[in-house]
Amino acid sequence: MSASQSAVRSRAEAVSASRTLDYMILFTLFFIILGGYHIHFMLTGGDWDFWSDWKDRRLWVTVCPIVAITFPAAVQAVLWTRYRIAWGATVSILGLLFGEWINRYFNFWGWTYFPMNFVFPANFIPSAIFLDCVLVLSNSFTMTAIAGGMGWGLLFYPANWPIIAPLHLPVEYNGMMFTVADLSGYHYVRTGTPEYIRMVEKGTLRTFGKDVAPVSAFFSAFVSVIVYFVWHFFGLWFGKTDFVTST
Amino acid sequence: MAATTDSVKADASEAPLLNKRNLALAVALYCVFYAWVRWYEGVYGWSAGLDSFAPEFETYWMNFLYIEFVLEVTIASVLWGYLWRTRDRKVMSITPREELRRHFTHWTWLVAYATAIYFGASYFTEQDGTWHQTIIRDTDFTPSHVIEFYLSYPVYILTGMASMIYAKTRLPTYANGFSLMYLVAVVGPFMILPNVGLNEWGHTFWFMEELFVAPLHYGFVFFGWSALGVLGVLNIEIEALAKLLKKDLA
Repeated sequence: MSASQSAVRSRAEAVSASRTLDYMILFTLFFIILGGYHIHFMLTGGDWDFWSDWKDRRLWVTVCPIVAITFPAAVQAVLWTRYRIAWGATVSILGLLFGEWINRYFNFWGWTYFPMNFVFPANFIPSAIFLDCVLVLSNSFTMTAIAGGMGWGLLFYPANWPIIAPLHLPVEYNGMMFTVADLSGYHYVRTGTPEYIRMVEKGTLRTFGKDVAPVSAFFSAFVSVIVYFVWHFFGLWFGKTDFVTST
Repeated sequence: MAATTDSVKADASEAPLLNKRNLALAVALYCVFYAWVRWYEGVYGWSAGLDSFAPEFETYWMNFLYIEFVLEVTIASVLWGYLWRTRDRKVMSITPREELRRHFTHWTWLVAYATAIYFGASYFTEQDGTWHQTIIRDTDFTPSHVIEFYLSYPVYILTGMASMIYAKTRLPTYANGFSLMYLVAVVGPFMILPNVGLNEWGHTFWFMEELFVAPLHYGFVFFGWSALGVLGVLNIEIEALAKLLKKDLA
């Protein structure tokens, strides 16, 4: 090909081609990352995210932020390093939530008839916005890992509290005290019940009573920092442009 | 004799850079097809998919599975074979405009791959969880598996491989060697299908019920990570497109 030839006939056509490619690239990135992120999240933290009776004060708060910070860290590593695009975490989370909401509505509710207020996904948007804000303000991945990762974990429970609080109200049923969420799970039996729900609030952290959620969030934030570091490097690796040539 | 392409057709230079009709048709094809599949699941999952020993299960689900296998092998052979046989043998001598046009076609393939990945890895995979938490499994070929493992996964494998073959055979960027991250982004999600073997073996061996976060499923997680290889493909493409457009955008 000749280097002197132009691929376009005018500047306007170049701008148009560039914009069109932007949209095609965004669509592709959104849905491919959505696919990988969703399969990762549903199989590492999914059960806590599927059901409101699993959204407890201990393992939901601990597990979900830790396994969810992975893809946002990797996507940020490429989009910020190479393109100074500052919404890597937010777009990853929007993709995950898009996949989850479509699925919970059309399948959990539409195919197997679990009510939506029993199967809604957790909200990560405030955590993701915070992670992106720390990156764009600090321009430092170290700061983003430490401050952003901490905020990511600590913000998770407060961000979901307005949604989950009504389901944590106590009710009395046949002489037993439940939360509304537990009562929902009691009525909507899953094939794995009862073993399936025996890991909800498992352990002795409940010894701390009202402090269970903050302790869990703090631990989750700590691990999120470490996971961010690791997945940042995963992201850089996945962004490589190397070619394999036959010898 | 293989009908490979030696040169750009005379009228190709007048073709639009992006064939928007093909782009819209590609996305619509997956959406309409999977809407029909979801309707089929809704009707025949409950009426014929609860007992694998029932005659209607054979009629509506096992026959569906057999038809899938035949169609998938046929389409893969025809599509991949066509793309390979019509490859451009003088790919390094195409004009910049033709190269830009082919990048648009390549991105149409990638949009199709993204749509297929969404339905396979997101929609039908999480759907499987709610089916298993509702219906006791008595076969590896549950209605959700017939769709998830043996339809939606092969469909994205078909599309991803076709996209990679197109890039390899039509674009100068990929002519010399294989892009490591393109391989990761296509072969990694492909490996989710063989991993079904471990999954099914584990479910028959260890436990029948569903716990989505069980370590048995971590093979799917590991190969799901490879979707991030699309970031490497993005970087390669941006470099190639910048070479084609940068001086006109300055």
